[in-house]
Amino acid sequence: MNIFGPKELMEDVILAGRCTGCGACVDICPYFGSHMGKTAMLFPCTIARGRCFASCPRAEVDLDLLSEKTFGAPYAEVPVGSHRKIFVSRSGARIGNANYQAGGTVSALLSFVLEKGIIDAAVLVDRQEGLPRPRRITEPQEVLSCASSSFAAVPVISELNRAVRDGYRRIGTVATPCQAVAAALIRINPLNEDEFINPLSFIIGLFCTWALDLRSMTALFSGRGLDLRSVIRCDVPPPPAEKFEIVTGGGKHDIPLQEVRDLTSPACAWCPDMTSEFADVSVGMLEGSAGKNILIIRTPFGEEIAEKAREERYIVLDEIPPEQLRNLERAAAAKKRRALLKLKKEGLLNTAGKGKRACFRLRPEILEKLIG
Amino acid sequence: MSLLLKNKEGDKRLLMGNEAIARGAIEAGLAVATGYPGTPSSEIIENLSRISRQAGIYVEWSVNEKVAAEAAAAASFAGLRSLCVMKQNGVNVASDFLLHLAESGTRGGMVLVPCDDPGALSSVNEGDARFFARMLEVPLLEPGDFQEAKDMTRWAFALSEEIRNFVVLRSVTRLSHASGMVSLGKIPRGRTQAQFRHAGALLDPESGPMISCLPGAPQFTHRRQQDKIRTAREIFETSPFNYYEGPRRPEVLIVASSICSLYSREAIAMLGKAGKKCGLLKMGTTWPLPEKFLQKHLSSAEKIVFVEEVLPFLEENVLMLAGRWTRGKGPKSYYGKNSGTLPSYGEMNPDLIAEALGKVLAVRRRPVRPESFAAKAGAFADNAAPRRELTFCPGCPHRASFWSIHSALKLDGREGFVCGDIGCYTLAAFPTGFNSLRTVHSMGSGAGLAGGFGRLRAFGLRQPILAVCGDSTFFHAAVPALINAVHHQADLTMVILDNRGTAMTGFQPHPGLPVNAMQESAPPVEIENICRGIGVETEIRDPFDLKGTRDALLSFLEKKEGARVLILRQACSLSPEKKKKNSFKVRVDENACRGERCGCNRLCTRIFRCPGLYWDNRKQVARIDDVVCAGCGVCASICPAGAILKEDAV
Ligand SMILES: Cc1cc2nc3c(=O)[nH]c(=O)nc-3n(C[C@H](O)[C@H](O)[C@H](O)COP(=O)(O)OP(=O)(O)OC[C@H]3O[C@@H](n4cnc5c(N)ncnc54)[C@H](O)[C@@H]3O)c2cc1C
Ligand code: SF4
Ligand code: SF4
Repeated sequence: MNIFGPKELMEDVILAGRCTGCGACVDICPYFGSHMGKTAMLFPCTIARGRCFASCPRAEVDLDLLSEKTFGAPYAEVPVGSHRKIFVSRSGARIGNANYQAGGTVSALLSFVLEKGIIDAAVLVDRQEGLPRPRRITEPQEVLSCASSSFAAVPVISELNRAVRDGYRRIGTVATPCQAVAAALIRINPLNEDEFINPLSFIIGLFCTWALDLRSMTALFSGRGLDLRSVIRCDVPPPPAEKFEIVTGGGKHDIPLQEVRDLTSPACAWCPDMTSEFADVSVGMLEGSAGKNILIIRTPFGEEIAEKAREERYIVLDEIPPEQLRNLERAAAAKKRRALLKLKKEGLLNTAGKGKRACFRLRPEILEKLIG
Repeated sequence: MSLLLKNKEGDKRLLMGNEAIARGAIEAGLAVATGYPGTPSSEIIENLSRISRQAGIYVEWSVNEKVAAEAAAAASFAGLRSLCVMKQNGVNVASDFLLHLAESGTRGGMVLVPCDDPGALSSVNEGDARFFARMLEVPLLEPGDFQEAKDMTRWAFALSEEIRNFVVLRSVTRLSHASGMVSLGKIPRGRTQAQFRHAGALLDPESGPMISCLPGAPQFTHRRQQDKIRTAREIFETSPFNYYEGPRRPEVLIVASSICSLYSREAIAMLGKAGKKCGLLKMGTTWPLPEKFLQKHLSSAEKIVFVEEVLPFLEENVLMLAGRWTRGKGPKSYYGKNSGTLPSYGEMNPDLIAEALGKVLAVRRRPVRPESFAAKAGAFADNAAPRRELTFCPGCPHRASFWSIHSALKLDGREGFVCGDIGCYTLAAFPTGFNSLRTVHSMGSGAGLAGGFGRLRAFGLRQPILAVCGDSTFFHAAVPALINAVHHQADLTMVILDNRGTAMTGFQPHPGLPVNAMQESAPPVEIENICRGIGVETEIRDPFDLKGTRDALLSFLEKKEGARVLILRQACSLSPEKKKKNSFKVRVDENACRGERCGCNRLCTRIFRCPGLYWDNRKQVARIDDVVCAGCGVCASICPAGAILKEDAV
């Protein structure tokens, strides 16, 4: 992979509006920080090849290479990415009820791996004073208090970096698609560092079409007189609802979906991944059935975890109806096409020549297929 | 006993210019001295404050120069002799009151001493305070050496009483801060009883009220004031502080004032034989100018060269008179700043003057340029001393404060900026403060400008606005600006860098401290009480707590409306209570230091750059210089590798 330093990261990603705020470059060193979902460079760094650039999901990511190292095969040509199986899922009898976003599959799997000692720390997202923040936990009972989705971009990987700095070497993390790419990049030791130990045991990917810019989201809520601290959950009901639902201590509030979409982080427009293709397993909503998820199993390790979690009744798995699978593939393909076309148009794919750095690299024939 | 109180007439002593001024005031029977600290003026009040008890005088570091002038004027109104001291910029602050005072006049002798800083050695500008004398229509004296500094000060009080107006005595850095032999005079005994007589007739200068203006009737007070200046001119015609030295008919006549008369003497000597053709007219009373005296001397030569710092004050005032003399005497050639013979910025020195004289005399001399001198000195210093940049001291709380301010603004990410102010922290416009300050003007202007920016939301300004000021500056001039911001609902975050004293000028007390200039205990006025009293959300943090400070700033910046204050309180590392008392013993764990590798890239020695840290090039690790380190321990919290260790110092 072509790896550069913080100067190029600033130019190509942060200043170019491509930064997802994933936090991969934050807290591996003192130079990058994150605030209100945004990543910033605090002081100049002069290093030519840095971990910051190496783990950024928007800077010179060779999708084939990353796929090769993660799945043992080049980048998949199917829209949902490399996978072994797809199920409908939900949390099982071993897990109590909580404020799950949907079926609680994410919470259930994380509880399972923590309880079994498969990981010794988990990174997820919690609300503090109404603002979503990454949070590290080490006790299984803490998982449920972080259930439900905040639709803002949160620097999850920065907390992963802090966990590594604090000595954890068997970490599990939730990850939106950009965060999953960052996590996958961290796993493959892109700089070939001698002292490297893979700190990541388990990546649970979340489906994602867009994430909101946190400051805009805060302004939207407070503009409607909603106290952020009283927000309990947010939902995007399936089409044709076209609304964003907010449940607060005071009741339910609907905001027209278009108003919310306008606040999407600009970085999301460059994102070709809806299903967190580089995770061990990915979880999303099952359209039309509140209380259920779609679970995509990608790595053998992910499969092993899902199997054991099912055996021990942490999760319940069902076959996915063909209709639902088609909807999923269609949505994933649409997002991929949109982003790849934009990237291609801007000349950010497979660039060649000096000084022309790419956002992604992938085999041209696959690219044509995915765009076509 | 202090030299200032030695009562042995005729004794010769080595005195610093500022001590000589203080001594002159004591010899004049001074009762009250006030001022605001500022280089190069501070030692005058400092010396007086040290002997206040023994000398039975009252000495005050006032909240600002205007208030200092008012306090000194009150003493004068009550019949006492008073001295008011400030640096050049202070006169701007005091000028509003002074313009009124010049019209009401004074009673007990009052002398205003502004100390100018040509070359802006310790200032943000090199303003020339002499122009105020002309604008205010009051006499101006410029001592030319150390003896004169004392003698003219003493005489200034008598002059002030004679004309019933205050007198300006202007010093400059090289007079105030250098030392020379001074022959002491007598110190009077006894004390004047203070009494403000105000029951007399409206315009009675002895016993009437002191009122500056009679609206619409300048023929009374203003005319009276101009009569006074005419009297002064008459007195100056025979003043011993103006004199000529040199040949009877010089080819070139140098007209010089202040310390430039010493430089000129030296330049004449440097010229050797050519110098013999030069005469020096040394002027001690430079406003109003003694016309007859000048006319007599200027008629002796055809070429006149003016030598003064900084602006052509003397030059232009003489030229104004010369315009009247042309008839009969014929025109002469005038050289100075207007002709481009000498620069109208920066300090004067004998080389510059000799070069100018050489040109006027058309003698060949190798030009000595100050730049080449500076280059020579620089080359010499490079070999002899390590290279130093403008930097905060080791352990300086400002470095920590600006580290957090810079980080918070970067994290905030909306191109916020800091309006700076006057103090050591002005250095934060440079890399030592991470180039944080984006505006710097006069004292209090940071808050004023920030308040102005903070009202531009309606025009689409979305950047967060910060102002910084020191504790002394807060009292001096920032309070009205903050009140204005509150009342007009300006959005701003004001950071008060409270390092417990007027640190830059040498720890003079200010109203926030429990002590006054005379080292007596005094009720402190708490900054936080003022801020909260005007309705401002106020937090207090220790700037050495980097994370706490940054988070407080970030949460303030996130708020959109109104004014907020963050007080960052930590005493200056050179403050008497801290000096030489390190809190921590700090060292670097060589094995843990990541140095130039990714993950650190020498954050401490490349970015933080406290002088107590240095990079060991051979071993490729950071180290602590135990001699320089002030033991604040802040670097331990910036090191990403935890390689900087601090232990409680024993
Ligand atoms: C920004 C965003 C956009 C999404 N968009 C879609 C979509 O378009 N289609 C779709 O099918 N699903 C989407 N999801 C996923 C969906 O909302 C659920 O997270 C997922 O279905 C898992 O449901 P669950 O019941 O298992 O979750 P739970 O068991 O409730 O667990 C949810 C987990 O998500 C974590 N989390 C919460 N907020 C964030 C965040 N901002 N970033 C990262 N992790 C977070 C929590 O820590 C928690 O562990 C999105 C999620 C996010 C965060
Ligand atoms: S190169 Fe390394 S030290 Fe520099 S900014 Fe990137 S991660 Fe930080
Ligand atoms: S996308 Fe992630 S890694 Fe890349 S610059 Fe943004 S926060 Fe850093």
